[in-house]
Amino acid sequence: MRRRTFLHMAALGAGALAFPRRASGFGDTARLVVGQIQHGGRWNPRPTALRRLCWELMQRTSIEAGNDAVPVRLASPRLHRHPMLYLSGDGAMPAFSEPELAALRRHLQYGGFLLVDAADGSDGSGFDASARRELARLLPTSPLARIAREHVIYKSFYLLDHQGGRLLVKPWLEGQVIGGRLAVVYTQNDLAGAWARGELGDWEYDCSPGGEPQRETAFRLGVNIAMYALCTDYKDDAVHLPFIMKRRS
Amino acid sequence: MPDAAYNAWRLASLSPFPRWVLALLALAAAGAVALAWRGLRGEPRRERRLALLGLRTASALLALFLLLEPAVQLLQTARVKNRLAVLVDRSRSMNFPVEPGGEPRAAAAASFLSDHRQDLEAFSERVNLEWYGFDRDVAPADPGTLAEKLPARGGRTDLLGALKGVAAGSATSGRRLAGAVVISDGADNAALAEGLSPAARAEVRALAFPITAIAVGSAAPRDLAVERVAVDDFAFVRNTLTVEATLQARGFSREEVPVVLRREGAIVAQAKVHLEPGKERYAVPLSFAPDTTGTFVFTVAVPVFPGEAVAENNTRSFVLRVIRDRVRVLLVAGRPSWDERFLRALLKQDPNVDLVSFFILRTASDNSGPQEELSLIPFPVAEIFGEQLRTFDAVIFVNFAYQPYRSLDIERYLPGIRDYVRNGGAFAMVGGEQSFGEGHYGPTPLQDILPVEAPEGLGTTPEEVRPRLTAEGRRHPVTILAAGEGPNERAWSALPPVAGLNLTAPLGPEDGARVLLEAPSVLVRGRPAPVVVVREVGSGRSLAVTTDSSWFWGFLAAEEGLGNRAHQRFWNNALRWLVRDPDLTPLQIRPDRPAVEPGEPVALSVAARGPDYGPGSGAKVVAELVSEDGKVVARGEGVAGADGVARLELQPPGPGAYKVVASAERPGAPVERAAAAVAVRASGPEDADAAPRPELLRAIAEASDGTFATLPRRGMPEVKLADPEVVEVGRRKDVPIWDRAWFLAGLCLTLGAEWVLRRRWGFW
Repeated sequence: MRRRTFLHMAALGAGALAFPRRASGFGDTARLVVGQIQHGGRWNPRPTALRRLCWELMQRTSIEAGNDAVPVRLASPRLHRHPMLYLSGDGAMPAFSEPELAALRRHLQYGGFLLVDAADGSDGSGFDASARRELARLLPTSPLARIAREHVIYKSFYLLDHQGGRLLVKPWLEGQVIGGRLAVVYTQNDLAGAWARGELGDWEYDCSPGGEPQRETAFRLGVNIAMYALCTDYKDDAVHLPFIMKRRS
Repeated sequence: MPDAAYNAWRLASLSPFPRWVLALLALAAAGAVALAWRGLRGEPRRERRLALLGLRTASALLALFLLLEPAVQLLQTARVKNRLAVLVDRSRSMNFPVEPGGEPRAAAAASFLSDHRQDLEAFSERVNLEWYGFDRDVAPADPGTLAEKLPARGGRTDLLGALKGVAAGSATSGRRLAGAVVISDGADNAALAEGLSPAARAEVRALAFPITAIAVGSAAPRDLAVERVAVDDFAFVRNTLTVEATLQARGFSREEVPVVLRREGAIVAQAKVHLEPGKERYAVPLSFAPDTTGTFVFTVAVPVFPGEAVAENNTRSFVLRVIRDRVRVLLVAGRPSWDERFLRALLKQDPNVDLVSFFILRTASDNSGPQEELSLIPFPVAEIFGEQLRTFDAVIFVNFAYQPYRSLDIERYLPGIRDYVRNGGAFAMVGGEQSFGEGHYGPTPLQDILPVEAPEGLGTTPEEVRPRLTAEGRRHPVTILAAGEGPNERAWSALPPVAGLNLTAPLGPEDGARVLLEAPSVLVRGRPAPVVVVREVGSGRSLAVTTDSSWFWGFLAAEEGLGNRAHQRFWNNALRWLVRDPDLTPLQIRPDRPAVEPGEPVALSVAARGPDYGPGSGAKVVAELVSEDGKVVARGEGVAGADGVARLELQPPGPGAYKVVASAERPGAPVERAAAAVAVRASGPEDADAAPRPELLRAIAEASDGTFATLPRRGMPEVKLADPEVVEVGRRKDVPIWDRAWFLAGLCLTLGAEWVLRRRWGFW
């Protein structure tokens, strides 16, 4: 066994031990298992990112997360097993077929959630252009719009007032709404790039221009997004408002 | 038959030609005369012109006469007597005095009839005289009885209905009404309650006979009445409601009147009204906020003053159903999950639900960072499980354990939650790794209210389970996804299987628990594991859903083209059942009317459903009227029919507010109880307003071209009658007059004379 392989397996084993199995009796349906959409382009440019996010969710919150994301195809009959979907890419992405778009649209309309993350830091080209094109086809009546700073997604767990990610291409998130609920959240800042961590525990990418604080914000944003997917506007309930306003002041 | 049998005649034409041919022939005749006149214009001698023109005209007329074939039609006719109806008001308002301190109006009417019966019978030579008494209906009456000074008893006055009723008799008797004499105080409380509207005036005109209206009563006696109460049929609990009462006061000077609104004896609102001379009606708003749900009798009351004509109309009762404005639900989740996510979304979008949520977002072992950078709030255990608990209509635990939060000491509040349910609250526990036995609820006070036995150690099963309906689940409102047993079973079997169960043991029916959905593939103590179970606990209800994937019935079902309706329907059903939605109670009382008139029985239907929510046919039903002081004042028994409904009539002892308490009993089933409320009015419409309305009678008389008079009076007023109608009996005989020979001879003579004279006078 080579030294690198040994270290790889040891790191995986340590990670497995760190995951408590509180929800083991009910299987994966009791946990947040993100479905990562497979498409015709480079659909998984940050293979370790979502595993790390799941680990952070388990460490920081009461969310029971799966070990890692599960690759799904939009045409898959088990798409609805994963109410939270993740779409990423590095470079241009081929267009979805109409049946794929219809399946994704139905998923979102019945309560699903989609996080779109541009890994290539593109703006107007590459994955950004592809994602905007497909999202416009997906929900033509709800165009992508900037998510207001006051939105509950910035307070669903952490109180956030700035963005995180490997880059800061856009200092905001964009979203598409169905029935008053954010169904799609889109970031161009390569959140997964900030989350990605190698098998030996080293971060795979530097975060710029903010460095490690920007990475921490990326994790916090990831936690908030996952919390929003699971609790929607819970933190907009009246009982929370005095506490949140006091801490924001 | 001899011609003497005919008493009338008229001219008729026997010509076979149609009218238009005859018209053309007439034009031709006129043309012939015109041509003669034109040809004679050059004749200087006037006598010649006149002679020739006269002969031509005579020829034309004779020709026309022969073509028309005139005849004399002999007829046998007879003159038929029409009817005169005398209508006497027999409604209770006729018991009021003609004027303050005077004799009753009914007595004045009887005196008039006694004095003038002969005058009326004198009309018998021209018309057939008919006598009627009327109130709500009109009925023939003996004139001798009408002339007796008996108290009137009718509960309503319908003047127009009475007139139309007697007029309708024309169709059956073949004799028209020549007129009507109406003796009444005019206090109509039916179609003419608001006066003679243009439409009503047209109806009176359409009767087509003159009405002699004789008004009894000239002045209103002193009286204070709660004339009207305007309020909706239902109100929302804890929301302010305004009852608009209308007082009517006659014969009062400047006085102050207290007005109270009582709910079954207890005053809930009051106001004061300052009476003013000359003003009769006063609107009194009475506002209050009902504090409990249910059906109650409310009463608006004013004091009875000395000298009032009617004491009973000083109160007026009504029934009000107080309902929740929104169902207040406490949703507590042990951690964020998809089950919580979809249940919260469903409850949040329901406008009838006021949702308060508390989710545990972080445990003690989680390392989230500094508290001030989080949006988390302290879990207000004491507030929601202590002081606020009773404000919730239902409490739902979704995968929530009480143990991990030692500092919060939630265990201390579990007895309170148990008592809250026993006293009428509702509780639901939804599965997960922190629920039921996994949440260590077995040895806690919550086990006393849970619908399943949840001992530690039974564990969970991660395998997919396809639940099936039990016999009770097929009819229970919680598990009705589609109407009809077959469609409902198909709806359940079409749903995707759930992923994992908390293993629990079913309780027995003796505990009031009923398994509605079970997992046949998973056995606990040899029996299928419960999936959905309900239980009646004291006055409250509880529900167990032993899976954490009920969201599969919505989100996963949607992927399979079934939509998410099953998830919505199940939880809506469950919530409605938990909070005792009146439409889902096993026993329902439906009074025919929320308020009955004095003397009428309280008629009601009691609908019983069995424990399986099927029709409770054969159930022994007992209903009791309970007065405000808690005494049973009337009782009725019955047996529910095949539809589960029993019809009962209870005779109230008098006016007032009553609770209707019903119970239904079937062998082997628990006794079900229900309550409703009815009001027995102290005064009906006849007693509510003691004022006579002579102006209405005058308007009716004028509209019908009749006459109006008032009582008391000495003489008989003028009674107008429509002309008697001549009715043809039907025998007739045609006697031709055109076929006399001399008509033809005359025509030949005139034509020949004109021809001869024209030749002699050179007109060729």
